Amino acid sequence: MTPSLNTRLLVASSVVLAAFLGATGLTLDNAFRASAESALRDRLQNQLYALLAASDVDDRGVLRLPAELPDPRFSQIGSGLYAEVVDADGRALWRSRSMLGLHVPFPKPPAVGKRAFVPLAAGNGTRLMSLGFSVSWETGGGTAHRYGYRVAENLTVVETQIRRFRANLWGWLGGAAALLLIVQTIILRWSLAPLRQAANDLRAIESGLAQRLRGDYPRELRRLTDNLNALLESAESHLRRYRDSLGNLAHSLKTPLAVLRGALDGARDDLGLRRVAEEQLTTMTQLIDYQLQRAAASGRASLAAPVAVRPVAEKILNALAKVYADKRIERVLDVDPEIVFHGDAGDLTEMLGNLLDNACKWCRQRVGIHATRVDDGAPALELAIEDDGPGIPDADRARVLERGARADRDTPGHGLGLAMVADTVALYRGRLALDRAPSGGLRVTLRFPISVA
Amino acid sequence: MRLLVVEDETELRAQLESQLRAAGFAVDGAADGENGFYLGREYPFDLAVVDLGLPKLSGIDVIKRWRAQGRGFPVLILTARGRWQDKVEGLNAGADDYLAKPFHTEELLARINALLRRTAGVAQPVLRCGPLALDTARQSVQLHDRPLELTAFEYRLLEYLMLHRGEVVSKTELTEHLYDQDFDRDSNVLEVLIGRLRRKLDPDERLRPVETLRGRGYRFTLKCDTP
Repeated sequence: MTPSLNTRLLVASSVVLAAFLGATGLTLDNAFRASAESALRDRLQNQLYALLAASDVDDRGVLRLPAELPDPRFSQIGSGLYAEVVDADGRALWRSRSMLGLHVPFPKPPAVGKRAFVPLAAGNGTRLMSLGFSVSWETGGGTAHRYGYRVAENLTVVETQIRRFRANLWGWLGGAAALLLIVQTIILRWSLAPLRQAANDLRAIESGLAQRLRGDYPRELRRLTDNLNALLESAESHLRRYRDSLGNLAHSLKTPLAVLRGALDGARDDLGLRRVAEEQLTTMTQLIDYQLQRAAASGRASLAAPVAVRPVAEKILNALAKVYADKRIERVLDVDPEIVFHGDAGDLTEMLGNLLDNACKWCRQRVGIHATRVDDGAPALELAIEDDGPGIPDADRARVLERGARADRDTPGHGLGLAMVADTVALYRGRLALDRAPSGGLRVTLRFPISVA
Repeated sequence: MRLLVVEDETELRAQLESQLRAAGFAVDGAADGENGFYLGREYPFDLAVVDLGLPKLSGIDVIKRWRAQGRGFPVLILTARGRWQDKVEGLNAGADDYLAKPFHTEELLARINALLRRTAGVAQPVLRCGPLALDTARQSVQLHDRPLELTAFEYRLLEYLMLHRGEVVSKTELTEHLYDQDFDRDSNVLEVLIGRLRRKLDPDERLRPVETLRGRGYRFTLKCDTP
């Protein structure tokens, strides 16, 4: 199963948070340790300089240090601060009182003028940081005497400091992480609330409590919810149309059935019955055709992918060329390949099929379809289908759009074509107009508004 | 003229067959697409009436397969749904005309006759050959501008010969195109019918419109006006 958005976001942000806070902690920890150690070294150096300053060497090269040194810890046994002065052979010349009873394994002093920091462990196991320094003093006699100075300080203090700092640091970082996670969870819940609302709305629609998504959705979701609403609406209007058609059909069939039943009951001869049956059968066929075509028209404009007009018109013209092969009709296809119809391909086929079939039926020689995109304020697609036939007299134009009407009763067809086209055009909020073509025949112009999204 | 009717609705197929036979056609029927395709591929039909919604193989596929196999006889499709999408698809698949159900028998016959005439290369409904005029729309024959009484079968026989005017039409070809599968091919019914037709067309034996080529068949000899 795909993890939920909530889980994804939480997992991702937790990982990032942990990595970020971990790196911060380690950096701070290292920085603090480095600065604590460097402070210790500075202190050791200062102690060393103090010892050097306090040292007194007489003419014979005997080194003396006062009993009381500036830092009282030198005089305090086991204070953690130790010092020792050795001669060139490594023999101790002086030791601080604090070193009484404690063995400190100082390393050999370095060359004159050099300093050496060396960590070491005292005899009792405590860890120390030591600093060694060698000096060479010239006495009055001109002889040079070498002395090795060593100071060492207990590391425990520094280590305690670091431990305390660490405990503090990780405590704070952990707290911050927990707080951030909580805040993030709250943000997530708040951000994803519209999705939850959409889900709730959909459930309500499913259980029939609502008709559409009602909430005020954020911009990112609005396209989706608007489309869903459009889909719901078109499904509903489809359903309504089917239901209406079914009802209309059932009701309208009752009249011819009643007539038939009456004719059957009162029939005196077969001929009269035949005539009535013939009439009523025609009526019923027309009713069924009309309602079926009405119900089948989809009228969806918003969701369907645009349909290129040219291939559809071309296919229909090719098909009709076969049906009317005897007439050797000249076909004019004036449709730019770029021109599209925003709606259902089936609806377009039905409309063009009916109109082009009429045009072929009535034309003398030529049938044409012209498509243009017009933009006089409101963008629209205009389809004009014309023939060079007899046309329809002005007085009859309104009548031919009524269902069942036919300008000429002798040509086969149910006379539903134009009415059906007009119905479908209305579904797309378009307009249908009849007028005289330049060649004198009928021109049917369909105009479909293009909604600018 | 021999027709194939491919229609799965038994009642409607029986009706179509009897109506077409009454109009003088030889008719074979098929109840599904596969059988219809097989018959159309194996026998020399002059026209097929095909329902679009067929079991096993759709009407559109039947037509496509016939065309792919080079069967060029005209096809009239019947559709229950009067949708243009179906009609356009059928016509582009190789059908030549369509008729939406329900339809009048006269309209079906008119479409069939128009298609047969068109296939024979006759542009006008009336074919005039000397004193003889064959009206394919009204299914009637006039001799010296007077209507000639012919049975439906005699009309079909004359129509076939006239639409294949100038060609030698063998007895086998005539039998195949004028009778359905169940006909007994060895009988000499055809010769009898030709004789009867000759007597009606040419009572005083001056015109001699149909000549017999011994061992080869028959030929319609009159010169005709229309191309």
